[in-house]
Amino acid sequence: MSHYKMLDGNAAAVEAMKMARVKVISAYPITPQSSISEKLSDLVDAGELDAKYIRVESEHTAMSCAVGAQLTGVRAATATSSVGLALMHEILNVASGCRVPIVMPVVNRSLASPWSLWCDHQDSMAERDSGWLQFYCENVQDVFDTLLCAYRIAEDRRVQTPVMVCLDGFFLSHSMQKVLLPEQDEVDGFLEEYIPKNAYLNPADPMVINDLTPTDEITEMKFQQAVGFAQAKVVAGEVFADFEKEFGRHKGVVEGYRAEDADAIIITQGSMSGTAKYVVDKLREGGQKVGAVKIVMFRPFPHEALRQACGSVKKIAVLDRTAGLGAQGTPLWLETKAALDGDVDVRSYVGGLAGRDISPMTIQKVFEDLHQEAPCDEVNWIDCKDDPMHLREVPLHV
Amino acid sequence: MRVQLEQLMTTPKSSEYKTILGPCAYVFTSSNTGSWRIERPRVDFSTCIQCGTCRMYCPADVITIHKGQQPPLEFQWDYCKGCGICANECPKHCIQMISERSAE
Amino acid sequence: MKQLKFYGLGGQGVVTAAKILSVAVSIHEGRYAITVPAYGHERRGAPVYTDVMVDQKPIQVNCFVYEPDIVVVLDEFIVEKHGIDVGRGKDEDTVLVLNTASGETAQRYADQFGFQTVYYVDATQVALDTIGKGIPNGSMLGALAHTGIASIGSVESALEEFFGKKAGEKNARAARTAYDNTKKL
Repeated sequence: MSHYKMLDGNAAAVEAMKMARVKVISAYPITPQSSISEKLSDLVDAGELDAKYIRVESEHTAMSCAVGAQLTGVRAATATSSVGLALMHEILNVASGCRVPIVMPVVNRSLASPWSLWCDHQDSMAERDSGWLQFYCENVQDVFDTLLCAYRIAEDRRVQTPVMVCLDGFFLSHSMQKVLLPEQDEVDGFLEEYIPKNAYLNPADPMVINDLTPTDEITEMKFQQAVGFAQAKVVAGEVFADFEKEFGRHKGVVEGYRAEDADAIIITQGSMSGTAKYVVDKLREGGQKVGAVKIVMFRPFPHEALRQACGSVKKIAVLDRTAGLGAQGTPLWLETKAALDGDVDVRSYVGGLAGRDISPMTIQKVFEDLHQEAPCDEVNWIDCKDDPMHLREVPLHV
Repeated sequence: MRVQLEQLMTTPKSSEYKTILGPCAYVFTSSNTGSWRIERPRVDFSTCIQCGTCRMYCPADVITIHKGQQPPLEFQWDYCKGCGICANECPKHCIQMISERSAE
Repeated sequence: MKQLKFYGLGGQGVVTAAKILSVAVSIHEGRYAITVPAYGHERRGAPVYTDVMVDQKPIQVNCFVYEPDIVVVLDEFIVEKHGIDVGRGKDEDTVLVLNTASGETAQRYADQFGFQTVYYVDATQVALDTIGKGIPNGSMLGALAHTGIASIGSVESALEEFFGKKAGEKNARAARTAYDNTKKL
């Protein structure tokens, strides 16, 4: 029988990895991910998790170990955050190119500089072209649920691609919430034992993996990856439907909230999505026909599902937790803009950088701005102070 | 691209072959690197003391020492690239690099 | 939905107090709670705050608390020593739960910030007497039970669950003692 437990996001991630019966763990601690590596290590030490814990000297090694371990035919576990993810960059591409279906929680934290420990999406957004699937979680229950589904999606022969399950640093990683946990046998029924369906390392049946590949094959191999991504949309739908049947909780790659009849909607990702729904309810009480759309799966980007969720809405705000410097708009805005018809007024907003709170007031401000007639062609920096160019002003010495 | 994607996504797998995705291979073909040789080492067995220095330094690991036998040194010609390191390192200077064409 | 803000100093168990309250509410009373901790450059003795939201239904909003219904202050010197405005965002119904032995101090808080209801108890002394350490979080949860956010029974159960048998019993006793000795202004 399922039972309720109070868990923070990191503990929920550990529960999911434990129930997925990971066999090799190579994690390097980094704030705010640390409690994932610590808790996994505790579980192995206490004999509650039958796994080998490899202490590694960097995230580059953590991912390298995970690739090697998973290729021996077991589920490998690692997790990281921020600059740790950046240090993994090289091996992230090796994992996806070699089609090693690792599932990794990424605890979203700002990328230096400026040094910050707090949440935004710059770290995982910087890896959006690394060939990994990406899912973003709204709450702690979602962290657990998405991870379970992620194993199924990643390991499906049609997909055969690694997955990042992104959870907001502190707002999820360190927020205690009520989580309904299934029993191990229920999870075993949903997520079977891992059987490698592609490349694997076996001395009795040797194979060369990641050899120098001639130009005349690489385009085709990249195409294979593209097929994997295209299939991931189908497989995610199947797995989510299965999940709902098994555990009763609905999941979608894109989730609309009171969006069907809305005049204006806000598109969000991660923990701010709950706050957006809360504000939608409040504004609806006041007679405003607004809605919210949450992007659960960012890679592959579900443009068809997004189009459907947005319906005929002509005013859309996209609130991104990353700056997307130098681009015409923020990453989520670019995808949204590309997915929708040209006559839809899609506006780009930046907010919640490096732990700055996305409060109901923030979301409200976005809606207010969206109702302004003259659309702004530039990125809107929401909650930015009035005098940003005079921060840390000092007297002239020379 | 669209047609290609749809076709590939629905093509049933051939039962006779297993497709491996990504840069992996079951088939190992070692190429005959000995064919790259322009020069080859020739050993003067009368001065060779069978010390094994050449074997230690050989980057292709193609030298075998047969202590007390004749000849005391054997090269695996399929993989000797003729780099000349053995000749360089030999403490007795008894290895000489000769033109591949002139070799018997 | 009820929103709470906890203020205290590093080492007083501020974040832990919020977690235990969330367990009392969610597991022992069948409602829903989330904690939204504000982590910073932690060190012992630095001001720390953390937020909790409690509701009958699952909580959607995930951000800091700006308009608290209940303010919990674990260290009475936090205002004068660290300049923290514990009245920030309060309204006329906001309740204060204060760690102090002195009714005068409680009255000063009430006057300065305009709290109409103040519960106070010498939680640090209770902690010293019951658990042998001046960590006031367990006893403050006992005082907090007077606000009706969670029953004293649920708080005791949550403390026992969180700290394990031995330390849990001591902390539960601290909570009960503080509950019995809490005064209302």
